[in-house]
Amino acid sequence: MFNTVFPYLLTGISVGGQYALIAIGYTMVYGILRLINFAHGDVFMVAGIVMVYLNASGMPLVLSVLLTLLITMAIGFAVERVAYKPLRSAPRMSVMISAIGVSYTLQNLVLYITGGLNQFYPKIPFVSDSITIFGVNTKMVTVITPILTVILVVALVMLINHTKIGMAMRAVSKDFETSQLMGIKINSVISTTFIIGSFLAAVGSMLYFTNYNTVIQTSGSMPGLKAFVAAVFGGIGSIPGAVVGAFIIGICENIIKGLDIILFKAGITKQNLGLATFSDAFTFALLIVILIVKPTGLFGEKVTDKV
Amino acid sequence: MSQNVLKIEHVTMQFGGVVAVHDLSMEINEGEIVALIGPNGAGKTTAFNCVTSVYEPTNGRISFLGKTIAQNSPNKKMRKIYGGTMPDAFTDHQVRLSPDQVTKLGIARTFQNIRLFGGMTVLENVMTAMHLRRKSNVFTATLHLNMAEEKAMKKKALDLLETVGLLDLQDEMATSLPYGKQRLLEIARALATDPKLLLLDEPAAGMNPQETDELSAFIKRIKDQFGLTIFVIEHHMNLVMEISDRIYVVDFGKLIAEGTPAEIQENPAVIAAYLGGEDE
Amino acid sequence: MKTKKKINTSMLWAALVIALVYVGVFIAEQTLPATSMLFTVLKKGATYALVAVSMNLLNGFTGLFSLGQAGFMLIGAYAYAIFTIPVADRVNVYQYYNGGLIQFAMPVVPALIVAGLVAAAFAFLIGLPVLRLKSDYLAIATLGFAEIIRAIFQWNKLGALTNGSNILREFPTFNDFNIRNAEGEVTVYLSTLVPFVIAGVCIALIVMLINSTFGRSLRAIKDDEVAAEAMGINLFHHKQLSFCISSFFAGIGGAMLAMYQSTIQAKAFTSAMTYEILLIVVIGGIGSVTGSCISSFLFVACSEWWLRFLDQKQMIGDFEVPLLRNGFRLVVFSIIIMIVVLFFRQGIMGTKELPDLFKRKKKARQEVKA
Repeated sequence: MFNTVFPYLLTGISVGGQYALIAIGYTMVYGILRLINFAHGDVFMVAGIVMVYLNASGMPLVLSVLLTLLITMAIGFAVERVAYKPLRSAPRMSVMISAIGVSYTLQNLVLYITGGLNQFYPKIPFVSDSITIFGVNTKMVTVITPILTVILVVALVMLINHTKIGMAMRAVSKDFETSQLMGIKINSVISTTFIIGSFLAAVGSMLYFTNYNTVIQTSGSMPGLKAFVAAVFGGIGSIPGAVVGAFIIGICENIIKGLDIILFKAGITKQNLGLATFSDAFTFALLIVILIVKPTGLFGEKVTDKV
Repeated sequence: MSQNVLKIEHVTMQFGGVVAVHDLSMEINEGEIVALIGPNGAGKTTAFNCVTSVYEPTNGRISFLGKTIAQNSPNKKMRKIYGGTMPDAFTDHQVRLSPDQVTKLGIARTFQNIRLFGGMTVLENVMTAMHLRRKSNVFTATLHLNMAEEKAMKKKALDLLETVGLLDLQDEMATSLPYGKQRLLEIARALATDPKLLLLDEPAAGMNPQETDELSAFIKRIKDQFGLTIFVIEHHMNLVMEISDRIYVVDFGKLIAEGTPAEIQENPAVIAAYLGGEDE
Repeated sequence: MKTKKKINTSMLWAALVIALVYVGVFIAEQTLPATSMLFTVLKKGATYALVAVSMNLLNGFTGLFSLGQAGFMLIGAYAYAIFTIPVADRVNVYQYYNGGLIQFAMPVVPALIVAGLVAAAFAFLIGLPVLRLKSDYLAIATLGFAEIIRAIFQWNKLGALTNGSNILREFPTFNDFNIRNAEGEVTVYLSTLVPFVIAGVCIALIVMLINSTFGRSLRAIKDDEVAAEAMGINLFHHKQLSFCISSFFAGIGGAMLAMYQSTIQAKAFTSAMTYEILLIVVIGGIGSVTGSCISSFLFVACSEWWLRFLDQKQMIGDFEVPLLRNGFRLVVFSIIIMIVVLFFRQGIMGTKELPDLFKRKKKARQEVKA
C-alpha cells in the first residue's frame, strides 16, 4: 500500500511547494489591491521561457538563473505599472479585465516568439539529477522544492514582520486610504509586492519546469489558477495560508492522478474508473466547497461590509 | 383605539463587542408620525436597519401589523460578550425575513446616504420599485404581453413624480439631480412600493431652510394622501417638532425619553444628552 | 409626447438598419463565392455576438462578474450534437462506445432549444451555491465550474453519452441549410442567413427582457444591491434568473459554434474562450447590446481575416517587412485590446444602443438648424 501511494505523495509535496511559491504572489497582491492578478500565472510561464532562451544563448547557467530572476521581477514590475496603476481608481471589474488582457497579451507574445512549439527546459545540474528515496526513483527537485519553499517563506515572513517595507505592506493591506494619508508611498509598496511575487514565481518556475521538462505559452494558466485556488483555500491575504493550501492541493491532485492504480492495487476497485480526468477539476471543486462553507479560507480574516 | 403598526420589543444590536442599539422598545400606531432622534452615532440608523432586516438583531422581536419580521436571541458564542439585557421571551425560535420580504409586507424606506439607481432615469427609478407588486412573470414580461400592467405602472409612476414635483425631470439621470431633489426622488421611489409604513432616514439632510419648510408640509401631505404611518429619523429639530405626534430619544443606543414634542422639549435627560453630546 | 415621438423614429431607423443588414447578408450570399472569408467571419461573428450579448446580460446588466460562459457553451454544443447526430451515423461517431446510448435524432430547432435548456438547468444548479458569493469570488467560482464541466464531459465513463474525449461530428451544420436541387447543386444559399436569424431572434429576446420590468430590476441590482433589496427585489431570485437566462443563450451559442465548426471536442472550451468573449464585451462596451454585436464581428474579422496578413511574410518591392510571421497578428491584437481596456474603458458604444445613435444625430441636426 505504502509503495503505491508514496510516489504520488512525493510528487504531490513537490508540486505543492511549487504552487506555494506562485500562490504567495496571488495572496500578497490580493491582500493589498484586492485584485485577482490573472496575469501572475503567465508571468510564471514567461520566467520559464526566459530561462530557455537565456540558456540557449550559451551563457553560464548561474548567470542565466540570475538573469531569469531579474528579468521576471522586471516584468512583474512593468505589468503593474502599465496595466494596473492607471486603473487605481477604476471599478474593480475594470482592473480584473485588464489583468485578463495582460494574461492574453503575455501568452500571445510568447506564442509569437516561440512559434507555439514546446520549448525544452534546460537541465540544471544537481536539481535535475535522479535520486532514489525509499525505493522510488525521482528527481532531486522533488526533495529540494519543499525545503526551498519553506526557507523562502520563512524569509518572506521575516521580511514582512521585521522590516520597514514589510510594515508598510501590512499597513496598506489593512487600510489602503489611511496608509496613503499617513505618508506611505503606496506605489512603491505595490511595486515591491509585485517584484517579490514575481521573484517567487520565477523560483517556482525553475523547479516546476525542471520537473515537467517543457514550456509552452499556455503552461502558466493551470498552475496559476491552482495556485490562486490554494491562496483562497488558505485564506486570501494570508501567506502561511497560501502555503498550506498549496501543499494540500498539490498532494490531493497527485493522489487523484494515481487513485485508479491505488484503488486497484488495494483491491477496492476491479477496473479503471478514469478518475485521473478529475485531477484538475478536483481543485476547483475544493475551491467551491471552501467558498461556500468558509469563504474566508483556513486562515483568512473576516471582513464585514458596512451598509 | 388605533391599531399597533410597528412593535419593537427589547431589541439589542451588537457588532462584536460594540452595542449599537441597547434594549430598544417602541410602538408606532396607525396614522402616526413618530420621530427617532438622538446625537450622531446613537444607533438610529442601526434601528432602521433592524426594522428593514438589513441587520439581524442580536436580541429581541420586531413585528409589523402583528406579523413577526425578526426575532432572535444571542447564540452561544455571542452570549459570552453580550452586553444587552438577557433574552427572555425570544429564545423559543428564530425569525428573520429578508429585506425584500419586509418591503413586500408594506414597509418602505429611504436612505441617509442616498442610494438611488445611478444608471437609470428618474422615471425608471420609480418604476423599478413597483416590480414587487407585478402580476406578470418573466415570460409575459419579456414578450411584452403585460402592456396593460406596464402602462398602469408608468401612469402611477408619473403620478408619484407629480406628487413630489419631479414630473418634468422624468427623463433625467437620477444622479444628475440636485441633492434635495434626489431626496424627494427617494421618497417617491419608496412610495412606489405601496407601503403602509414609511421609514425616512434624515430626509432633510443637505436641504436648505426653505426646502426643509416645504418638506414638513410635504410629509404631512403624503401621510394623508397615501394613508401612511411614518417613522422618521431627523436632526432638524424644527422639522421634528412640527410634524411628529410622538418622539423617541436615544443616546448611546439606549432609549432615554419618549413623549409628545412638548414633553421632549422639557425633558432634562434629553437636554443633557444634547448639550453633552453635540451642538444643536 | 414630443420625446416619445423622437424615440419612435429612432427605433424605426434602427429597425431599418437591422433589416438592411439581413437583406445585405442574403444578397451577398447569393452573389459572392461561398468560399469567401466574409462568410466565415459572418457565421462565427453571429455566433460570438449571441454569446457576447448573453455574457453582457450578466456582467453588464446584472453586475455579476461570471466567467463560466465557455462551460455553458460546451454544454449547449454537446447537447445539440448528442441529440442531432443521425442514428445511422452514431455507430461511426461513437465507435468506442458501441454507437452510444441515445438512439434517436431531433430536428435542429427543438435541439437548439434543448441545448439552451440543458445549459440553463446546469446554471440553475451551479447558481444555488455560487450566486451568494461576491464579485471576484463569483468570477473564480464560475471559472472553476467551467473547468469541472470540461472534465466531466471528457470522462470516459460517460462516453456512451458524450463520446468521452473523442470528437463529436456528423450533426447538422450551417451548410446543411443551403437548399439544393435534385442534382445536389445549391440553388439558394442560406448557410449564413440562418445563423443570423438564430442569433437575431435570441438577441431580440434578450433586448426585450432588458427593457421589461425584470430588466429594470436587474439593472437596479447592478447599481445598488442594498437599495434594490429595500425596494422589494429578491436578490437571489433575480440573480438566479439572469444567470439561467444568460446560460440558456450561451448554450444556444455553443450549439451554433458546433454548427459552425462541424466537429466539437470538450477540451477546446477552455477559460481562454471565456476570456475572448469577455474581451469582446469590453471592447463593445459593458452594458451595450449593440456594442457587443459590433465588436463580435470586428473581433472575428480581425482575428480571422483582416489581420491575417500580419502572420505571413510581406514584401514591399524587395523589402521584407520585419516582424511579420506566424503569431504576430495575435500580438498586435492583444496590444489593441490592452489599449481599449486602459484608455477607452467605455468601449465602442459605452452603454448606448443602436436607436441612441439616431437620437444623437437628430439632436445635433436640430441644433444646427437652430
